[in-house]
Amino acid sequence: MSETTTAAGVIHDLGYRRYEGPRLGRAQIVRALTWHSFRSCFGIGRGVKAKIVPILAIVAMCLPAFVNAFAVARGNARLFGYDVYVPSLRVAVVIIFLAAQAPELVSRDLRNHVLPLYFSRPLRRDDYPLAKYLALTAALLLLIEVPLLILYVGTIASVKGGSAVWGQTRALIPGLGVGLMWAVLMAAIGLVLASLTGRRAYSTGIVAISCVLTFFLSLLLIQAEGGQTATDTGARVAGLFSPFTILDGVRVWLGGNPTTGLVANPGHFGPLYGLAAVILLAASLGGLAARYRKVSRS
Amino acid sequence: MPPTEAPEPSGPAQAVIETAVVETAVIETAVIETSGLTKRYPPNVTALDGLTVRVAPGVTGLVGANGAGKSTLIKILLGLIPPTSGQAQVLGHDCQSSGEKIRTLLGYMPEHDCLPPDVTATEFVTHLGRMSGLPSTVAKERAAESLRHVGLHEERYRLIGTYSTGMKQRVKLAQALVGDPRLLLLDEPTNGLDPAGRTAMLELIARIGAEFGISIVVASHLLGEIERICDHLVAIEAGRLLRADTITSFTQVSQVLAVEVEEGMVQLQQELQARGLVATAQRDHRVLLVPLGGDDTYDVVRDAVADLALPLCRLEQRRHQVEELFRDDESSEHV
Repeated sequence: MSETTTAAGVIHDLGYRRYEGPRLGRAQIVRALTWHSFRSCFGIGRGVKAKIVPILAIVAMCLPAFVNAFAVARGNARLFGYDVYVPSLRVAVVIIFLAAQAPELVSRDLRNHVLPLYFSRPLRRDDYPLAKYLALTAALLLLIEVPLLILYVGTIASVKGGSAVWGQTRALIPGLGVGLMWAVLMAAIGLVLASLTGRRAYSTGIVAISCVLTFFLSLLLIQAEGGQTATDTGARVAGLFSPFTILDGVRVWLGGNPTTGLVANPGHFGPLYGLAAVILLAASLGGLAARYRKVSRS
Repeated sequence: MPPTEAPEPSGPAQAVIETAVVETAVIETAVIETSGLTKRYPPNVTALDGLTVRVAPGVTGLVGANGAGKSTLIKILLGLIPPTSGQAQVLGHDCQSSGEKIRTLLGYMPEHDCLPPDVTATEFVTHLGRMSGLPSTVAKERAAESLRHVGLHEERYRLIGTYSTGMKQRVKLAQALVGDPRLLLLDEPTNGLDPAGRTAMLELIARIGAEFGISIVVASHLLGEIERICDHLVAIEAGRLLRADTITSFTQVSQVLAVEVEEGMVQLQQELQARGLVATAQRDHRVLLVPLGGDDTYDVVRDAVADLALPLCRLEQRRHQVEELFRDDESSEHV
């Protein structure tokens, strides 16, 4: 640098400098974009306004865990199961978080026409939605699992004996699995809905309304068919109309407690819930990829 | 000791020679080369129709009316869409098979708005530097440098939403520059700028081409503008190559003299005709356009006006817009 400056005899202008150093490969660029997007899920690197919803969501989600962990320390029992946590709260917070942050990830770039700048760089056309999906999945995972870990740590701090700790751990692991399932499916659904339009308000509306309406539809159907304890076919399949009840049905199918969650015991319709979850995930990811193929060509 | 140290000084010298060889090789290669490049969109829209063109290093203008196929060509060069048939190479790499490699060597400035209003220019360009494959700290350094090169200093810490159109265009240029490209594709870089802004942007582009050693392709529909900074021009129309030539041969056909007199327009037109100049009246019949052959054209016009004793109020050299150039070319069969 200094050599060039003296050679050119320029004092103030350093002149143009070439970059000959190492460049990141495609995988590392995707990782950088994922990290950048993950941070923006929580409003990090953005203004104060962008942080309000994520912080409120985390606080709301963790509050029952703190309260219960504190109660356990005072000698009370653990109220919330690791697998369902507080079912209605979890659904509500996930909907709010998705409706606010999925548009943050995808609608902003669509709205401001930033995508040509990404697609004129080494990334391939599927890399951009992939990075966004990984970021939102990780963010949801954090939102869903952190309260479980708080609850777990609070509980094992109070229980006596190795077998009790082992019991808690054995209960936690399926809970973390359910959280992962939620994050993987809901991130895909949230992103594909949010990417339909660049208008942020519409995008938020589409995510919120689709999640809320389908959820209430399923809840109503379950109630109409006799509630969570009903065992007739109508009640067993009523949960297939919203992603949250599908996820809960899969949980019960895989051996979860049928009385604590959202749906009636699916019984032998369990595999149907599994299939519905897989189809929903595949359709959402396929839709997301197709959406960005179209954008990259236009 | 001295004998062992003896080979040391030859090290840097060797390196210098090697660098020189590499640079010569780069200069000899065409930056863009297409042959029979065709792109059809179903059902029957032909955006590019057998385009064969070779773009040499330096600053090249890509001119064509709206819809001539400029944007399609740029997308094929970026490897974003495959051609229906034909070949395209950028910096020696095939666009279809090595799109990713090409995109690390290319900087692209889109025609339209592409900036988010709610981040600072520094953050935005740094992020895009990372997306170009720069490590984190390098991206920060180069973002600051690129923004400085395009003339944004302290303003770069402000939100892009607060910028003027001219500053936004500069940010768009900076993001194209941040990854240290070997070739810049600039799509209508003076779009939406006022005359002073246009001049500043053109000077900046000319400086990047001349001092930074980066080849540049500037797509524009305003020939008069980009001919000021280009070494070569490529004109396309309806997806086909119209002309590819050096700037001088282009300006010969494109330069005109605009003559405006307060009265006696028809008289002057006839007088100029008699003196062997084909003067055409502009649509509103207020200005006569005379093809500019050389310095003597000025003399002929001056004498004609003086002899007729007409009140001359304007005599200026003008450039055709590219559409007019095309008309001239077709009539004189330059294609």
